[in-house]
Amino acid sequence: MEILAPAGNLPSLKAAVESGADAVYFGFGNVTNARNFEGLNFTEKEAATGIAHAHAHGVKANIVLNTFPQIDGPDIWYRTVDLAAKLGADAIILANLALLKYCRERYPELPIHLSVQASASNHASIQFYQRHFGIQRVILPRVLTVAEIRALKEQVNVDLEVFAFGGLCVMAEGRCYLSSYVTGVSPNIEGVCSPARAVRFDNTADKLQTRLNGVLIAQYAPGEEAAYPTICKGRFAANEQVYHVMEEPGSLNILGMLPEVIEAGVVSLKIEGRQRTKSYVATVTRVMRHAVDAYYAAPDQFRAKGSWLKTLNAISEGTTHTLGTYQENWQ
Amino acid sequence: MKIAIGPVLYEWGKKGLRDFYRRMAETTSADILYIGEVVCSKRNHLSPEEMAQLAEALRPTGKEIVFSTLGLVMTEEEQLYLRQVIQEATRLGVMFEANDMAGVAIGEGCLMVAGPHITTYNPETLDFLAGVGVRRVVAPVELSQAMIAGIMQQIRSQVEMEVFAYGRLPLTFSARCYTARAFRLPKTNCQYKCGEFPDGMIMKTQEDEPLLNINGVQTLSARVFNLVAEVEQLAASGVKIVRLSPQSQGMEEIVHIWHERLSGRMDVSEALQRLQTINHDEPFCNGYYHGRAGLDFVAPPG
Repeated sequence: MEILAPAGNLPSLKAAVESGADAVYFGFGNVTNARNFEGLNFTEKEAATGIAHAHAHGVKANIVLNTFPQIDGPDIWYRTVDLAAKLGADAIILANLALLKYCRERYPELPIHLSVQASASNHASIQFYQRHFGIQRVILPRVLTVAEIRALKEQVNVDLEVFAFGGLCVMAEGRCYLSSYVTGVSPNIEGVCSPARAVRFDNTADKLQTRLNGVLIAQYAPGEEAAYPTICKGRFAANEQVYHVMEEPGSLNILGMLPEVIEAGVVSLKIEGRQRTKSYVATVTRVMRHAVDAYYAAPDQFRAKGSWLKTLNAISEGTTHTLGTYQENWQ
Repeated sequence: MKIAIGPVLYEWGKKGLRDFYRRMAETTSADILYIGEVVCSKRNHLSPEEMAQLAEALRPTGKEIVFSTLGLVMTEEEQLYLRQVIQEATRLGVMFEANDMAGVAIGEGCLMVAGPHITTYNPETLDFLAGVGVRRVVAPVELSQAMIAGIMQQIRSQVEMEVFAYGRLPLTFSARCYTARAFRLPKTNCQYKCGEFPDGMIMKTQEDEPLLNINGVQTLSARVFNLVAEVEQLAASGVKIVRLSPQSQGMEEIVHIWHERLSGRMDVSEALQRLQTINHDEPFCNGYYHGRAGLDFVAPPG
């Protein structure tokens, strides 16, 4: 079982390597990756250094290229495929049909992982991508239960990667326009969901309001912890109640079902959070390493330790966690 | 340009769907009817055979029929149903609309429409899709006029472009049913609460601003998207078809207004004003088309 850690920059990549990651993933500091936050991500030189560092420690390095080429200046996307091949990445993570085609034709030896932004949630789609582009792995969208993942694995012979910890997208990724509807900035086009420049925190005497491009996303009583204002985690009024209509803020945490997930045939546990700090990356990676090692040492005795959950909750959004879609009754 | 009536996105039941499509076929000047469930497989009220029967019954009206298919495909049963719908479409010689790559995969080689939920953001993607059978593409709703026109200028294949032009914007899908959640029911025992909301359930901010519209596993915009002022520019961009998304009230008149606008017999201000009345004076949106936030409305000059 691979533990795959996020790297928003070189220090995070090194922290992941030191903390027991089997592989890391990162993207470049531009529109070609869906975590295009200011001050984050890699230059070509940093990518070369990062890959060399990872390889020197027996760790794999995957390059993320998961937005969709645009009419204006599509070259940057194609050149990024070239760059990933040139730098010797262990895999390239792609979502767009045009890039998949280009990569397979030009670089038949470069392993392709199908990005979660392609939203391939069934065996027919996955087999289509395999048939046309020879994908080696698919990163599953966060819409399937563990039982559905197990059934899927019986139908496909590509590797499955799942999200194990971090931010929980509750929508089918790559096909969610909530952010662009409110802000005009699209995850698929600009690579950003709920961009920081559209966010505002308004503090008044009796409440704290969070806004996205002026739209009220949630309000909090004094002392209540405010979540980053994404629409799907907002507090709105529907059916004559005010509540988190789509999902409560909180992190996905797979530890409670780790044995089931491993036994479903998954090969890689992905930690989300390229926008988080290096200490976050180190902490989550270390806990996942302990948990996975504990499972393999004695699969039948595995239990998520209270200390692991406590450590992870402390760095989770809303200091709470959920098994999300992996559990049958979440829906 | 032609007028297409998009798939019914809401829970109207078997009879509601049949009645609606009969009325659209017999009393409106729409050119194309999309029939079939896109949102939730629990709402598959028409079996593939019944869809075929409905298509046969509507055929004498001269409308083009297209079978729409599910937007987020997950289970084995959903893939089986999808396969059967595609088989029926092929048998009848009509196209089907793929809204998940599963549709493109299962129907590869058949003539099909790539629906608005397929991520077609660039000409190379259209050309690839054309190679596996796609003959018409419905642009993802967030594409601007500049992007649509740019794509149409650069494609090499013969693919028709259809644009979502009127109705609440389909913004996203989830595995979770937000209507069931609003009633604290699990999706597995949803009791078809969505049937109580023939135009979806409005979700407002805590400042009482309508923002989104909850429709089962789908989330729509609260505002109605409206490109009736932009039809000349759409045509000049290479768009061949405008999609009007069904709503439970006033659809015949909406189609009529669009038809009059497209044929040049109604001017922009009259069309906007009449649609505004049907829309109970709620604000429209068209921001995506103008390269802005989707909820914005850019008023026509003058």
